[in-house]
Amino acid sequence: MNALEINDLCKSYAGFALDHLNLVLPQGCIMGLIGENGAGKSTTIKLILDMIRKDSGTIRIFGKNNTDNLKLLKEDIGVVMDEVGLPECLTAKQVGSVMRHTFRSWDDTGYLRLIKRFALPDNKPFKDFSRGMKMKLGIAIAMSHGSKLLLLDEATSGLDPVIRDEVIEIFNDFTRDETHSILISSHIVSDLEKLCDYVAFIHKGKLLLCDEKDRLLAQYGILRCTSEQLKSLAPKTVKYKKENPYGAEALVLRDNAPSGMDISPVSIEELFVFMVKGGAAV
Amino acid sequence: MKGLLLKDLYMIKQYCKSYILIAAIFIAVSLSGNDNMFFVFYPVILCGIIPVNLIGYDERSRWIQYSAALPYTAAQIVSAKYLIGLFTQIAMLSVTGTAAIVKMGMTGGIRINDFIILMLMMLIVSTVTSSLTLPFIFKLGVEKGRIAYYFMIGFIFAASFSAGKIFEEDLHAKFEINTVLAILCIIGIGIYILSWYLSVEFYKKREL
Repeated sequence: MNALEINDLCKSYAGFALDHLNLVLPQGCIMGLIGENGAGKSTTIKLILDMIRKDSGTIRIFGKNNTDNLKLLKEDIGVVMDEVGLPECLTAKQVGSVMRHTFRSWDDTGYLRLIKRFALPDNKPFKDFSRGMKMKLGIAIAMSHGSKLLLLDEATSGLDPVIRDEVIEIFNDFTRDETHSILISSHIVSDLEKLCDYVAFIHKGKLLLCDEKDRLLAQYGILRCTSEQLKSLAPKTVKYKKENPYGAEALVLRDNAPSGMDISPVSIEELFVFMVKGGAAV
Repeated sequence: MKGLLLKDLYMIKQYCKSYILIAAIFIAVSLSGNDNMFFVFYPVILCGIIPVNLIGYDERSRWIQYSAALPYTAAQIVSAKYLIGLFTQIAMLSVTGTAAIVKMGMTGGIRINDFIILMLMMLIVSTVTSSLTLPFIFKLGVEKGRIAYYFMIGFIFAASFSAGKIFEEDLHAKFEINTVLAILCIIGIGIYILSWYLSVEFYKKREL
């Protein structure tokens, strides 16, 4: 069963439209939703949670329509928003008490363990937390009620590199259980590259691609050559190119390129930048 | 819904300490010789605005968005604010009610009938105040909702004043105070239930 299925999802605002978005997140996998600010990542997550109403399309969570008994579905969904959204005067301890009366499967011991692991103060009000501390508290809540699906909107932004690494490790542990899945949005692509099984590129409300990360990395490469060499390649081999007086750089399909050419591995970040600048769906 | 109520109680404990001070000042002024019972009961009316203030804090902290990701229905989120408003009003009413009895004792004897009428009137006035406010707040948010509320209150006061002028003599002639009070209670409960229903419907449709 898929943790999440989005079909032809559309939502329009003045000056922005999410245009026929299609995504499938299998159970046990992590999908990175990659896009610049304003690309539609948060809108997608809000639509999944029915915080805003879709214009058309369907969203299924664990095979169920997201508007049918969403209250029950939310028991299984851990959410960390871009702004965590906890009341400013509450302490981590008080937040724990509130959540104990919110989630049926609230795990007090697990929550306290994460609070300790993240070195969060028990009795300091939330408003005095740094952005990183706020994110960590949001993550601790999301992971303390037996969630099967985590929806993380820029959840790693604001964290220092050491904690970010630790959080990524926690997310990886989480998906060792085959019934657990994560949809994580970020514009820090390096985090997602370490973490994700699938990546989805979203640009100006349109899905550029959605595929397995390893398949993409095996499929594409970067060719650095002269303009003449580039011209000799079949057009279907070159997905995007940049030329300057000193040479050319192109995103190419490895299988279509002639043997003997020096094709470097591409990173997800480079792939994303090429795709956005090229403006073409693969 | 327990979690929502607990969260609001924590917030009241933090942000609404000033209400206790205001109540103490008003009660002290009343007991120290002012004959106007308004001073005793004003804090109850003031408590009617607590849910609005709590929603304001929720909007600022973005709890409004976060709570939509938690396993609560729109009806539960709305009901928590109505209940917390009612709890605080009844709690304040019991404090000021005690002060009113003391004042009655000091100024010529306790009149139970008058006391009950006063208590009920205050509860009706304070719940109606928040009942008129909350649907606007749940539909438009605190900032826009307050503006709409002021227009609404202005209209109601103008309408009540005009109606009072027109029907003043007839009302005195035809109704006893207990009958008027019973009618007001029914109207108050009706407004409260209608307000709750509208707030739930508005909140369901609101985009967060």
